[in-house]
Amino acid sequence: MRKIETTLTTLLRDIGAFYEAKKWHFLSVNGIDLGEGKIELQWIFSQYGVKDEVVIYYALSDYETPVPSIVTLIPSAFMGEREIVDMFGLSVDGAESGLYLDKDSLAHPLRGES
Amino acid sequence: MKKTIQIPLGSQHISLLEPIRFKFECENEKIIGVDADVGFVHRGVELACTRSFEFKQVGYVVARVCGLCAITHSLSYTLAVEKLLGYVANDRIKYLRMLMVELDRIHSHMLCLAHTAENAGFEALFMQIMGDRELIMDVQEAISGNRVQFDYISIGGVNRDLTPELVAMIHKNLGVLTSKIDALIGLFDNNWSLSLKYKGVGVLRLEDAYTYNALGPLARAAGLATDVRAETSDFPYEDIGYKMILESSGDIHARNFLRLREIVNSITMCQNIVNNLPVGEIQEKAKGKPNGEAVVRVEAPRGELFYLVRGSGQNMLDRVRIKTPTFSAIPAMIEVFKGAEYADAPAILASFDPCMSCTAK
Amino acid sequence: MFKSMLEAFLNLFRPIRTLKYPAEEIVLPSGYRGLIEYGIDACIFCDKCEKVCPPGAILFYQNEDGTKTYRYNPWLCIYCGECVRACPKPEEALWQSETKQLSALKEEGANEGWFVWEEACKQSREAYATAKKSAKIQNKSEE
Ligand code: SF4
Ligand code: SF4
Repeated sequence: MRKIETTLTTLLRDIGAFYEAKKWHFLSVNGIDLGEGKIELQWIFSQYGVKDEVVIYYALSDYETPVPSIVTLIPSAFMGEREIVDMFGLSVDGAESGLYLDKDSLAHPLRGES
Repeated sequence: MKKTIQIPLGSQHISLLEPIRFKFECENEKIIGVDADVGFVHRGVELACTRSFEFKQVGYVVARVCGLCAITHSLSYTLAVEKLLGYVANDRIKYLRMLMVELDRIHSHMLCLAHTAENAGFEALFMQIMGDRELIMDVQEAISGNRVQFDYISIGGVNRDLTPELVAMIHKNLGVLTSKIDALIGLFDNNWSLSLKYKGVGVLRLEDAYTYNALGPLARAAGLATDVRAETSDFPYEDIGYKMILESSGDIHARNFLRLREIVNSITMCQNIVNNLPVGEIQEKAKGKPNGEAVVRVEAPRGELFYLVRGSGQNMLDRVRIKTPTFSAIPAMIEVFKGAEYADAPAILASFDPCMSCTAK
Repeated sequence: MFKSMLEAFLNLFRPIRTLKYPAEEIVLPSGYRGLIEYGIDACIFCDKCEKVCPPGAILFYQNEDGTKTYRYNPWLCIYCGECVRACPKPEEALWQSETKQLSALKEEGANEGWFVWEEACKQSREAYATAKKSAKIQNKSEE
């Protein structure tokens, strides 16, 4: 597992330079609540045909900052983005809420209390 | 005037076992747009794992995410925690775990085959395959003591050992199953009415498989060589005769055939495991509290299952991220539906082997 | 194609595949994971089983004289066997039987009754802890 730090502003550039559809398998978007209104966002990739190669791009952010969407680079990412919208109440460009929860749900289960 | 009509499939439909809703935008018979709604059975397992249960108990909680891949869920979680505790299982434990996972793959693939047959209108074949599937269910029940919720894997080992009677039973049932699978391969290959429903229907092209990050049998049937069993070194799969199986046409027939051939491979692997079982303890002590972050990938019957566990040296974990195979396969599924006939949709859907309780967790 | 037609025809004369339940009993394989059973005589009341149980199906009620009463909810139990593995005296104090639990009747209060019991156990512990504390303070002041 390799972890590479990035920021929300440079995310699209970093992942655009990194991702090749035939080499990397996009796993998922993940969020981890760090408490006090902070969140760590992760974009996880694995390499085809190579043992134990998992690459995680991560960025530290808070709940208010909108997260850029990577669907233009990786079309299948929309599911993961919709999930973090529901679970953490983040706003991701172009990702609707209502995948798991009700569309107008006010609660965001994985968001820490603060 | 609007040229298209919307036809929903689900959330309750006779061809679906589980609640999922597809909204098809159809032009005459052709599907041109798809929208999927998967959240009908969301239970908040990820939250429960970090708020209500201690890390030693979570293995039994995540096993309840899904009935069919209960064993892969508890295995992935256990592996992740063991990585955090710095514990490496001995060979006997690894072999016993692999045995259960492969048995699980056999019966899950059989369920999918039965279901595709049923959705293509072949009820008798459905019954036949489900009947044969009992051979494996019986073995799993005898090994673990329960038919569906095995609770076989715990942190630091497995809960039960194989006895000589069990070994004999495994050999007997797998032997019977081998001949049945051979007959099924012939049937799926030669039966004219099945090939009408399957060949050239629901094609996923290799390009799309790459673009939409298809995984598991869906990707391998399209010729994309990805299998977590070959991409991780947690288990010695090469030693027990694992072969990556690939098809190329990407249609329902290819997916069915891929599953049948994987069953054959898994049977061989199970026999090899039982014949070459190393000696050793089945339970060892794994001490400490999980601290740090670990990722684990395990090949579940439907594709890659991913766990990310983060702990901070306490009894409660900070985060358990579960990424299930069907969840990541949905973009590729949507792509396959576009351009297909509406009448084929149930059979195509069944051939993906979707597992909704996993997806919505 | 003709092979499968022939198969289908021959199936008419083959024996029935399904089980004749309930006319015939289903034989479970030995080692079936069933109910947890408890032997009060060997138990040392270490509470280990209560702590490991994932769903919380084992509870101990704290009596005022310091003893504890064991209570088990067979409908909440997932039969995982963790408690037996945690018990310092397995087979004597706690063991897993092969009996199957039948579904609960309404009178048995599998849910509501258990909630009441959970609450009672919690309170009994707290009451016991405070009683102990005040007794300690009293002892000290007497000295
Ligand atoms: S078997 Fe498992 S669920 Fe049942 S009482 Fe023991 S620890 Fe609890
Ligand atoms: S673990 Fe065993 S000895 Fe300890 S309280 Fe439970 S039954 Fe009694």
